[in-house]
Amino acid sequence: MNYKIRAELAVFEKMPDQAKISHEELERDGFCQNPFFECLVAEVSDEHRSKDGHTVVGYGLYYYTYSTWKGRSVYLEDLYVMPEFRGNGIGKGLMCKVAKVTAEKQCVRLQLAVLDWNSPARDFYAAKGAQDLTDSEGWHFIRFDGLSLDNLVKDAPKD
Amino acid sequence: MSSVNCHLFCLSVYYYRFHKEDCKDVARMIMELAVFEKMPDQAKISHEELERDGFCQNPFFECLVAEVSDEHRSKDGHTVVGYGLYYYTYSTWKGRSVYLEDLYVMPEFRGNGIGKGLMCKVAKVKKQCVRLQLAVLDWNSPARDFYAAKGAQDLTDSEGWHFIRFDGLSLDNLVKDAPKD
Repeated sequence: MNYKIRAELAVFEKMPDQAKISHEELERDGFCQNPFFECLVAEVSDEHRSKDGHTVVGYGLYYYTYSTWKGRSVYLEDLYVMPEFRGNGIGKGLMCKVAKVTAEKQCVRLQLAVLDWNSPARDFYAAKGAQDLTDSEGWHFIRFDGLSLDNLVKDAPKD
Repeated sequence: MSSVNCHLFCLSVYYYRFHKEDCKDVARMIMELAVFEKMPDQAKISHEELERDGFCQNPFFECLVAEVSDEHRSKDGHTVVGYGLYYYTYSTWKGRSVYLEDLYVMPEFRGNGIGKGLMCKVAKVKKQCVRLQLAVLDWNSPARDFYAAKGAQDLTDSEGWHFIRFDGLSLDNLVKDAPKD
């Protein structure tokens, strides 16, 4: 996994201080006994390498989830193509490859999250027939981390 | 196993990681939750699928159940009265995370801290997870207030995140359009 790509996606999502992960953590968590994620990368040939000399130019990172209504599902955590390689179908290629790989495991849903202001991404997904469940059904994303997560752990019933 | 005594009813609740034989109770409660969420036609899963997917080599999920003693069983005779079903996810910003897919307590057992007990037990379960995430319907004020009171952030409100889904035909089309190997 190319660490440089991670930092770029965080800048795009306007939250550069949030991306704290190292390539060592990615190696540990992607290749342990029950991996936490899988990742497909898009690579171009050496003659087409980026201005900075990279040939790995995009990635799709995903993991398996579970719908208690429908069963095995997959969640696409990140989909990214370096700006200079956009417009070549790489984003679509990555997403479709993820769908295909996980269909082989009988996954019946592919889900992801997108920021409300990210119109190119929202249009990209809508054009491919995706539903926006926040708009259509009213689902909200809730997060516990840091202190709020520590407090939950502290309040857990004793064994 | 663990127990917590509610001061109002002296109700002992035991929380434990589910076994295969608990899948029938979990499937029953999944349906009850779907009815509550006003989407009963959507819940199509069987207890056999839960057994297969929860106990295979790389399980797709884990589940904690809450059980009461036989003397406190439900009107319908059940002692397994709540569940928390979750799986591990990954934040490319922060690392290992857990997602709480379902949290449910049968209506006649609410108000005894079982929902909170299940959620806190899930938070405690793993191994360096730095986030616990979940989704809630906008009209479900009791649940939204429950989570907010415990310090959770609503990322849809605060950061504008939207949930997107491909399934059925739209998912088939993605698969069909995948680049050849």
